[in-house]
Amino acid sequence: MTDPNLIRNFSIIAHIDHGKSTLSDRILELTGTVAHRDMQAQLLDSMDIERERGITIKSQAVRVDYTADDGQTYQFNLIDTPGHVDFTYEVSRSLAACEGAVLVVDATQGVEAQTVANAMMAMNANLEIIPLINKIDLPAADPDRVRSEIEEGLAIPADDAVLASGKTGAGVHDLLEAVVYNIPAPTGDPDGPLRALIFDSYFDPYRGVVALIRVVDGSLKKGDRVLMMATGTEVLVEEVGARRPAETAMPQLSVGEVGYLVTGLKDVRQVKVGDTITATARGVSEPLPGYREAKPMVFTGLFPIDGDQYEPLKEALEKLSLNDPALVWEPEKSHALGFGFRVGFLGLLHMEVIKERLEREFGLDLLATAPSVEYHVYRAGGEMISLHSPQEMPDPGEIERIEEPYLKAKILIPPDYVGAVMELTTARRGTFVTMNYLSPTTVEMIWEIPLSELIMDYFDKLKSNTKGYASLDYDFDGYKPSKLVKLDILLSGKPVDALSFIIHKDKAYDRGRMLTEKLRGIIPRQMFEVPIQAAIGGRVLARETVKAKRKDVLAKCYGGDISRKRKLLEKQKAGKKRMKNIGSVEVPQEAFMAILKVDD
Amino acid sequence: MPHDPYKALYLHLPFCVKRCAYCDFATAAVPADSPEIDAYVEDLCLQIRRKAKEGELSAIETVYLGGGTPSHAGLSRLSMLLYTLSLSMRLEPDVECTMEANPESLTERMVRDIWALGVNRLSIGVQSFDDEVLRILGRAHDADAARRAVEAARTRFENVSVDLICGIPGQSTESFEASVQEAAHLGVSHVSVYPLTIEPHTPFDAAVLSNELEEPDDDVEAAHMEAAARVLTEAGFARYEVASYAQPGFACRHNIAYWTGVPYLGLGRSAATMTQNAERRMRMQDGRATDDLDARQMAAEDLMLGMRMSQGVSDAQVKQAEALGLAADEAFTELSEQSLVVHENGRWRPTERGWLCGNELYGRLFDLA
Repeated sequence: MTDPNLIRNFSIIAHIDHGKSTLSDRILELTGTVAHRDMQAQLLDSMDIERERGITIKSQAVRVDYTADDGQTYQFNLIDTPGHVDFTYEVSRSLAACEGAVLVVDATQGVEAQTVANAMMAMNANLEIIPLINKIDLPAADPDRVRSEIEEGLAIPADDAVLASGKTGAGVHDLLEAVVYNIPAPTGDPDGPLRALIFDSYFDPYRGVVALIRVVDGSLKKGDRVLMMATGTEVLVEEVGARRPAETAMPQLSVGEVGYLVTGLKDVRQVKVGDTITATARGVSEPLPGYREAKPMVFTGLFPIDGDQYEPLKEALEKLSLNDPALVWEPEKSHALGFGFRVGFLGLLHMEVIKERLEREFGLDLLATAPSVEYHVYRAGGEMISLHSPQEMPDPGEIERIEEPYLKAKILIPPDYVGAVMELTTARRGTFVTMNYLSPTTVEMIWEIPLSELIMDYFDKLKSNTKGYASLDYDFDGYKPSKLVKLDILLSGKPVDALSFIIHKDKAYDRGRMLTEKLRGIIPRQMFEVPIQAAIGGRVLARETVKAKRKDVLAKCYGGDISRKRKLLEKQKAGKKRMKNIGSVEVPQEAFMAILKVDD
Repeated sequence: MPHDPYKALYLHLPFCVKRCAYCDFATAAVPADSPEIDAYVEDLCLQIRRKAKEGELSAIETVYLGGGTPSHAGLSRLSMLLYTLSLSMRLEPDVECTMEANPESLTERMVRDIWALGVNRLSIGVQSFDDEVLRILGRAHDADAARRAVEAARTRFENVSVDLICGIPGQSTESFEASVQEAAHLGVSHVSVYPLTIEPHTPFDAAVLSNELEEPDDDVEAAHMEAAARVLTEAGFARYEVASYAQPGFACRHNIAYWTGVPYLGLGRSAATMTQNAERRMRMQDGRATDDLDARQMAAEDLMLGMRMSQGVSDAQVKQAEALGLAADEAFTELSEQSLVVHENGRWRPTERGWLCGNELYGRLFDLA
């Protein structure tokens, strides 16, 4: 058993792109955990998509041994948290496994929205925070400015902030020493009944579900019988150990330690993030605080372009959800798109990542319909329906009221952009709450905004309207009544279910007009005229027409042209295959994407 | 593989005085006096001799010297080439022998000599009789040079064809119609009309991408193609293929070979050769197979190419395709419901719409195999 006084559990938190992963890599390298030659940039981000996007989706926990300047060897457990608002809950559980956090701030960018949000969470979790100003090797680095932003914006003393560069390795030794001296050692009852927090889990095809845990009290070892309190699942511990970063079996995990537990379970849903593990015999009755169910916020229809890929899509979703308990889905049938699934995600990034993985790792060609949120529709009798798809919308006559989810959004911007954000967010039905000057160069604006507006490329618009300066963070803020209607798009007079969506009544006309115009540009000319209409119920709001095709021929076709011509026809055929036949109209995939992009 | 005899011979001369802005053909701008052309023509002559020795030229019925710009190779090289050809195969008047020429390099002297050496059809790359349009296209000649070239050709040749391009950004319907009228008045026996296509990696492509040039408009091209059909029909031409109009008896036999499944031999850089027997059809280009079709695919391709021509395909041909398991009847019935084809006198023929929207029609037939 390691003396808890020699254990330091900490996390590294940062705004996206502030260099958290690179810094983690340097720590592994400097402590000799990973030899330099084995370094793969951003070692902890193991998925291709994570590395490409430079974001972390899954939590990681790595144990490193550090022999400090005082001559003692410490056990560091470095917990890498997901770096996106979609995964806020996972972040909070990872932080609960720590005593301290290193707050990384880019020396050129300064404090941004998620710097604030993450620092707040770390403070809420009562963590000791070590500020670190990163990327000091860059010419534009301005550590003095950043130091004052940290002090003024976050109320964290930053006099002795560590100055470091993940890239060059400068300052990393200072950081490790700061961890030893500033972050408290874990406390807990080594002999008490077992209590351990699950802060992440993943599916290992050979060993079943593996949980990442922090032992709060007691200890556990291979062969122990343990109970997961929220799900009531009992398991025999098959193995415990630590990741360094390869999984290394240990005789036991004792109080204060972080490590993994092999459960042998087949369903990741039985091992929930935030749940408490205790011993089956002589266990505790009170779980650790803070558990909640991860709840999907955004829903979209995913349809295979090739109908033959329905089963493969189902299998792929099953495989992905082995590792992703937040991913939920149910079959959905669309007249336009055939059989597919209604899939729920934690947020838009989660959705994009899953769609990309389905396409890349499983070779699927998918169509996604407009993302929707969960609406609460109250029928005249008071009965409430949770609506995930526009298709489930009851007749207007049966509806008493509809409520939609709201978010409390926090936007950080330089003062010059206050007007631009006001304009954009008001147009998106946002309600202004308050505004604070965090520093002379940073304004924090708080808004209440419907989630449905936020998922319609609000963030892209926010970025472009503020020249990329704005950063955004949000929290769920409950359901509020709203005047919502279902807008249908009709092609050749027939409604296309996959193009329907729910929208605020006041915006239906403009959106309908804009979409029909956009679709006219996207839907290629066919052998016949194609009218495009936007309608609510039977009332047509806008109409455009795709004229019939008049000429589509390549006139030259001699000797060598014939092979070329065959290739073109093959391409034409492949192109048609990528389109969806709706009635007799060929609709390209962009048509379904068009709904996602809104020009204000 | 044992194969049916080649009936058509294509000789490629891939050199031009300059590249036109729309051109993506396998050709290069090379000065007329370049030794590169000498070496190329010598090699081409050698290939002709070799093929003759192998017996591959014994059944040739049509010859086509295409380019590039064959007239750019100059009279002495063309003489050597035609002389070699006359020693290598039967080059009698009943063998259609076409040469392509551009106005800037077709001289009266050249017209006389190549006629004497066995060329009996001249195809002139006029493209337009409008100076402004020629400038946009980046041609090396003006409208007057084009007129003089056609007049010079007419001094010896009864069979003269001109190429015209329509749908060029900046080309009005009036300008295009005037060019068609002028071709007819100059007494040519054959006119080809091509809508402009923007090919990748051409100066036109770059100009369209940078918004300096408008993209050709399908509606305008359709209107131009319809205008050409009207003007030329009035002048006594018959449209025998989507882009080809001829006075009676002057349809291009060599081109018809391409559309009727007749095997052809191509010599020279990037020239395509089609070799076939009853079971298999292959196309080769620069030593690589570009097509390798089985009997079913051959039948589908013949239907598809057949529908480029006004004669279309016969019921017998459709029946043969059906015998190979292709659902040809069903396809033609569907296409006739879309008014792309019509059935007359035991043949399926393309309608005007079938010509203009040919890709729909060909695509459907292509999908049969």
